[in-house]
Amino acid sequence: METMKKEFLTVEKFNVISDVFSQAITGELIGMSNFASLAETIEDPNEKMEAVEHANSERMHAKAFMAYAKERGFKININLNGQYWGNVRKQFLSYAHKFDFIACLIIQEVMLETFAISMYTDVGNALGGEAGRLFLRIAEEEREHLEHSSEFLRNELIEDPNAFINKFEEIHFNCMTILSEFSASTDISGHCGVCSGSCMKLSLHHIGLDIVTIRGNALALYAQALDEIGIPGEKSIVWIARLPA
Amino acid sequence: MDSTTSGLDFAVLGHQDSWENISDFINGIRTSNEGELTNEKIKEIFSFIPPRTLFRMKVRSNTGAEIKGTYIETFIEPDKLDSSFLRVNIAKVRNAVSYAKKTKAKIATLGGFTSIVLEGNLDPFSDGETRFTTGNTLTAAFIVKGIEKAARDRNVNLKESSILIVGATGDIGIACTNFLKNKAAKLLLSARNYLRLEKLAVELINDGQQVIYSVNIQDLIPEADIIICVASATGIQLSNLKSGVIICDAGYPKNLETRLEQTKGVHLFHGGMGQIAGGYDLEPDYSGTFYRYAAPHIVHGCILEAIVLAFENRFESYSEGKGKITTDRMEEIYNLSIKHGIDLAPFYNAKGLWSQDQNI
Repeated sequence: METMKKEFLTVEKFNVISDVFSQAITGELIGMSNFASLAETIEDPNEKMEAVEHANSERMHAKAFMAYAKERGFKININLNGQYWGNVRKQFLSYAHKFDFIACLIIQEVMLETFAISMYTDVGNALGGEAGRLFLRIAEEEREHLEHSSEFLRNELIEDPNAFINKFEEIHFNCMTILSEFSASTDISGHCGVCSGSCMKLSLHHIGLDIVTIRGNALALYAQALDEIGIPGEKSIVWIARLPA
Repeated sequence: MDSTTSGLDFAVLGHQDSWENISDFINGIRTSNEGELTNEKIKEIFSFIPPRTLFRMKVRSNTGAEIKGTYIETFIEPDKLDSSFLRVNIAKVRNAVSYAKKTKAKIATLGGFTSIVLEGNLDPFSDGETRFTTGNTLTAAFIVKGIEKAARDRNVNLKESSILIVGATGDIGIACTNFLKNKAAKLLLSARNYLRLEKLAVELINDGQQVIYSVNIQDLIPEADIIICVASATGIQLSNLKSGVIICDAGYPKNLETRLEQTKGVHLFHGGMGQIAGGYDLEPDYSGTFYRYAAPHIVHGCILEAIVLAFENRFESYSEGKGKITTDRMEEIYNLSIKHGIDLAPFYNAKGLWSQDQNI
């Protein structure tokens, strides 16, 4: 991490970077757990193996973030049961328990991945150096997951547009409501349980970021993902407009 | 594209002219459980949203024909239309153009600010199935037809009148100027760029038209019997107006009422607007939010140009570039619009429809 090695980190900067890594690691572990659960919903052996591979990919991402954080001595807090991450996981499991592969794919590969790709990209560009490259590399790998799933979901939509859109809408309000509360400029449902101190969103300016831009970019990528799948714009605008802010 | 875009005749690319409209739209969508969002919260999200269809349209002609279209929002912020935001806004328009192409609409019109990319010949967008038009020809036609009608209604003789055109060197301004050439006693021209203004004025003078021009509209206002304003109202103040002056507010947004020093004896209407006799439907029905005017089925001329061309199966870039609109083309598109039951909108302004002894 040539940039950060040379740079003296203020306490504020150290704390916010620690929290950013804590969120990323927790998110990757949620993704890993989700893919592992997803594997249980799949009958096809090849697809089952693919889900396990994805779980492993998320594990590797978590491991990479953890290794880097350990090397730099960041203060890491992992909490899969916090207010927002825990609720997202519960939503995912509710569909996994019904063996609803499509719903699981939508939550993990569209909703969580678009937020991860966008936020990692913003963080990567802001941090620069080795840490920045790590975030950008993982964002690129997550993007491949999203593209792969978009193609699959596009075919599902073509088969039965009304049923698919209705299902997507239900999942959107169940899951994106949580992510929207999580990323709102103020904590709508309380502390996330991951940040070490108070909410890091208020401290992002220490690393050249702000939550409004991060959140806006994430929602923009989500909207583009909906377009790619074929969700009509007049539907997606309503879905987005009705989210908490 | 998406699951419902096949068979579109036209697309409209547009943007909202106030945060109030945007707030009405967003909060109109939200349920009582979700609660209303403040303008601040809406502003946090709005400009990030990529271009997308907000609603579908079905438009009916007097001939019995019906066409289908879509409105694509660019999410340009209404208070960021000036030149300092040009780069970001042009990027938004380009994204919306790409989106429109994916809808495979046969013709698309660039409403309001978005026409800048075609006017400036930044890109003809000629690849793909969708043809693009600025819609400026029919807008200009409705402006001048509106002036002619308002003058007739008020017993004002154009031949004896001085007509001030504010924004005379823009695409619509040039079209209006050329249309009115040798129809008015005097043309008073105003624009920000002196060299362009001088060039236009010299051409008109060479054609036998009496012309006075200035970059300062206050120099010209006291002499104007009629004023056509096709420029943004930002920075414009209308004072020392002649009593009985007719003003056509054809800028974007239409808010000249707020720039008037006096209102008594001023007859101001929002110009460049048409009305569809056969009506239209929006799906979802956002008629409580979009196209809220003093009378039903009033629509901007630029949108109507694409609609008329779609009714005529003329999927062509009817208006593009700057300064290319001819009087013949204005007459042609206007006559085609009449054929389909699309005529001048009734005169109205922010206070509502004109009454018999209308003052603003």
